Amino acid sequence: MLLEANGLRKSFDDVQAVDDVTLHVHTRERVAIVGPNGAGKTTTLLMILGAIDPDAGSVHIAGHPLPAQRHQAMRSVGFAAGYLPLPDRLKVTEALRFFADLSEVDDPAAAVDTVIKELDIDHLRTKLCMHLSSGQRTLVGIAKATLHRPRLIILDEPTASLDPDIAFRVRDRLAQINEEHHTALLLTSHDMREVETLTDRVVFLRAGRVIADGPPSEVAAAGGHASLEELFLAEAARHRAEQL
Amino acid sequence: MSATVAASFSWRRVWAIVRRQALVQYRNPGMWFLLLVLPVVDAVLFTSIGVAYNNGLGAVRVLFTGILLFHLVWQLTLAGSLGFLEEVWSRNVLNLITTPVREIEYAVALLVVGLARTVIAVGLIGIVGGGLYAIDPGSAGWVLAPAAAVLLLFGWAVALLVVGLTLQYGDSAEVFSWGTLVLLMPLSGVFYPVDALPGGLQAIARGIPLTRAFDAVRIGIQGGGVAEGDLLIATAGSVVAMGLAFWFVLRQLRRFRQQGWVTRFT
Repeated sequence: MLLEANGLRKSFDDVQAVDDVTLHVHTRERVAIVGPNGAGKTTTLLMILGAIDPDAGSVHIAGHPLPAQRHQAMRSVGFAAGYLPLPDRLKVTEALRFFADLSEVDDPAAAVDTVIKELDIDHLRTKLCMHLSSGQRTLVGIAKATLHRPRLIILDEPTASLDPDIAFRVRDRLAQINEEHHTALLLTSHDMREVETLTDRVVFLRAGRVIADGPPSEVAAAGGHASLEELFLAEAARHRAEQL
Repeated sequence: MSATVAASFSWRRVWAIVRRQALVQYRNPGMWFLLLVLPVVDAVLFTSIGVAYNNGLGAVRVLFTGILLFHLVWQLTLAGSLGFLEEVWSRNVLNLITTPVREIEYAVALLVVGLARTVIAVGLIGIVGGGLYAIDPGSAGWVLAPAAAVLLLFGWAVALLVVGLTLQYGDSAEVFSWGTLVLLMPLSGVFYPVDALPGGLQAIARGIPLTRAFDAVRIGIQGGGVAEGDLLIATAGSVVAMGLAFWFVLRQLRRFRQQGWVTRFT
């Protein structure tokens, strides 16, 4: 088992953000966490990354318990988020080299060259990270998340705000990494078509709880819907009604 | 440092952070101003005040040595507090958390950067004093070495305090990185004995470890040798301040994870 998160709970100011979430990810698996806004997706990811301590439950990554062995666990993890920029005043190659050194990659210069080629971002090498467009930033973020060849890549909204061409390239590259290096993928997304094409398992959250866990088509069918998109829309409508 | 932490401590990660901070410094004109211009301006300003109202070389030396020691502690504090604020400004905190970097490695890197800044700023002030005013920066004698060590210890405690506040308040804590030592400057008697302060402030001033260190240096400049008593009190006070700052930053890191403050930095 690559990721073993059991019984995670987290509340903020009396709001139960995550309520007894259990999530296991195996080597080479592609898993998506989906659900309407406020369902607890990002909080769950941040607990898995060790950035937030759960009120209850446990997380193990590659056998390392969090938070005690967070530093060892993070050697096996690559993380990128669509909303997260890279260090402002560094050029792209400098930023990638920085993260390669933090992960103690054996040959950092070669690793940086390799991911730059893989993601076809050679033209961005000397650009300052603060001057990247949102699409370019996402591509460099994916490069950062993959350059140390992690066993698990965690992505929060990786293709949000990207044009369809770049989103396709990102999905394509992630699928290749998964195939070539047996890297597991764990991502959140609001794009249900992306989830259906990129992942083989969906964990559906509602109000911090897991309401379905299985292959996308089975999860949709079990909810009485023809597609994941329909199920998502139904859940979002239900969420809005509950808030009223 | 426990055996486990020592075994996995990585100087390579420390160096990577130092290099990043150096590149931030290199590409930020404001940081050059703080590092190169302000120490020279302060050295010229305060030494010239001493020359203008000269009651003998002693007053000039006190003012010059005061600003030199003030920059020694201020540059270290700035490197620590602004170094971490740079991660906040560039929203890089979550990126760092999701790497194998340890808090202790990050702190050591900022300390290295701070010491380098201190050497540069103090070196510049020394050049101004020696070159433009014919003042020997070491005129206080051997007392300068332990006094500088105490000041650096206290300066690092202030840096940790500001980092702890930044973890909670984000870039709103920026004012503390500039303001804390500016607040302490008049109270700790950098340029004068605390007897010169109004009565109510004197009691506060005597409770600040920096005050005793500056007192010891003034005694040295006036030819009174090494004031061991003052230095001991300053050392003890700075060790306590460092202990409290260390406890505070660990507590803030724990709260950072428990309260989910990371979402304020994304």
